[in-house]
Amino acid sequence: MSKEQDINKMVDMVGEELKKHGVSRRDAMKMAAVGSTAFLMGSGTEAEAATEARASAATGKILIVGGGLSGMATAAKLTNTLSNPDITVLEPTETATSYQPGQTLVGGGLWTGDDVTYKTDDFVPSGVTLIKEKAVEFDPDNNTVTTSGGKTLKYDFLVIAAGLKLDFSKIEGLGISETITTRGDDSAVRNVIGQNGLASIYFGNGAVDTWKEMQKFVADAKSGKKVKGLFTHPNTPVKCGGAPKKIMYLTDARLREAGAAARANADLTFYPNGSKMFGVAEYHNAIQKQFEARDMKWNYRHNLIKVDPEKKIATFNRHWKQKGAWDEDLEEYGVDMKSKEVEVEYDFMHITPPMIAAEEIAKSPVGSGKGWVPVNKETLQHVKFDNVFALGDIAAVPMGKTGGSARKQYAVLVDNLISRMEGKELTAKYAGYTVCPLITSIGTVMLAEFNWTKKPTPSFPLDPTQERYIWWLLKVYALKPMTQYGMLAGRA
Amino acid sequence: MVCLQVELKKQVQEKRIKIMKKTNMMLITVAALFTFAGCTQTPDAGGKITYSKTPKEVYDASCVKCHAADGSGVPEKKAPALNDRQAAELELDLYDVKNGGLNQSSGTEHDIMEHNMKKLIDKGFDYDPKAMAEFLEKSFFKKAE
Repeated sequence: MSKEQDINKMVDMVGEELKKHGVSRRDAMKMAAVGSTAFLMGSGTEAEAATEARASAATGKILIVGGGLSGMATAAKLTNTLSNPDITVLEPTETATSYQPGQTLVGGGLWTGDDVTYKTDDFVPSGVTLIKEKAVEFDPDNNTVTTSGGKTLKYDFLVIAAGLKLDFSKIEGLGISETITTRGDDSAVRNVIGQNGLASIYFGNGAVDTWKEMQKFVADAKSGKKVKGLFTHPNTPVKCGGAPKKIMYLTDARLREAGAAARANADLTFYPNGSKMFGVAEYHNAIQKQFEARDMKWNYRHNLIKVDPEKKIATFNRHWKQKGAWDEDLEEYGVDMKSKEVEVEYDFMHITPPMIAAEEIAKSPVGSGKGWVPVNKETLQHVKFDNVFALGDIAAVPMGKTGGSARKQYAVLVDNLISRMEGKELTAKYAGYTVCPLITSIGTVMLAEFNWTKKPTPSFPLDPTQERYIWWLLKVYALKPMTQYGMLAGRA
Repeated sequence: MVCLQVELKKQVQEKRIKIMKKTNMMLITVAALFTFAGCTQTPDAGGKITYSKTPKEVYDASCVKCHAADGSGVPEKKAPALNDRQAAELELDLYDVKNGGLNQSSGTEHDIMEHNMKKLIDKGFDYDPKAMAEFLEKSFFKKAE
């Protein structure tokens, strides 16, 4: 479908949708003219009712650990809702509130690092106290948190939105022994990742360096050299499960831009630990077809365990199932797991690092065996402490580590936290909604929306498995202002 | 002649602005609809599945063989304990087992049980992960001593 057709079709459809919401197209035009911000805040539409905060006179000292997207949006919505808010946010990193979903675009050379870097200070809602320290000890039985600066903070209600840590140290040979966060001090990693063909968009500066390395790779291919690009996906949960593939699609697009010969000289292969492109069958099938159409290859069941940055060799643990012995209990043949090490040479390798919960949380009473903060996945309330809630990357919620899920979670969490403060039953429920705007080329995106039913749950009556220009516009032009003015203001 | 060219240029310009306005309006509206979409969806949106057996029936007839009558697990059978976690955590694991992972391409940490579960579902031992997790907590979970 051409861009123009795509837009016309969408305009008609939007008109229909608006009619259903009782808004005429002329009204919509007027609202659009007022500006996207005003429109997003709702101007006499159903939207207003949906975002109208319920005022609450409930009181209590609320401590939010983490000032990223989830934590700050939660602080903002609580500020909007409570008539006497008493909120403290603990966040040591100056740029924690940055727009991480844009890092793929930075890695692909479409945005710059500055486009996605926000100062935490600019997003602290008025009245909220920001302490630039880290939480290092949790004592939920006594309702206290100890900070890196030695303060003991007492709370009535705790929200954990601490995000996760990137653990490159699990990969042998890189010489990295420390974990890092997406934003903040990355010196332990940046002198290895972002050099010599190794790249990772999973941290801020890493995304900037990815573009440098990708350009070298493309230039080599253009000059006639036969080159190999590898793209990994580890065996841990990761934030934005689509990004390891998005950066591969963008590499493919940049090579094609450099010419058919350049593309023909490059061999691109995806090496995920799992055996699927996507947990939702419809999207899995669509992605495999897109890969085939672009001559992008894949090798399932390969987990990156070792890198030799000098010789440019990656070692994977390849693992597979084999028919096992007869199992009396199962009354079937069982399976045995087999594995072996496989070495692969590369010229460019995008590493998606293993991701973990910060140790001080994982091993504390609010953590769990796997580290993530165990919450009821629908109410986001902690399983053991009823005045503790968690959301975002740190929460043990299936498929939940995306900006799109955080955008749904924070509204549910605030609703339930206020109910808890008022001594009422928790009624708001998160249904697992998440969205992956899968960038498939420069100018196309497949908007993969889904929830725990593992079925596509499209917001629009369009085939969700198609790559479209309109979703590219949404990803590149609309989602950032939506986050900045809607979510971080606690409005949408 | 000059006049005509100016007029033509103006028309082209106007058409461009029109297209731009159209695109802008649509994009903003799409963004707004997208923002509020999905709010009313429930986990059952894909149609309710009915199960022929209750979690207890499934446990007593099948799970018990490897996870023991008290849910303490049987190490020789590589079956982990199910009595040390609460429902929300158990549900996450059961979800992983039944779906072969929680993430797009991370894979599962329950490769063997994923295989076994498929066979057990064929034999009629299917269950709702949430209901099963609640049953396990209620029956076996021990508060920390």
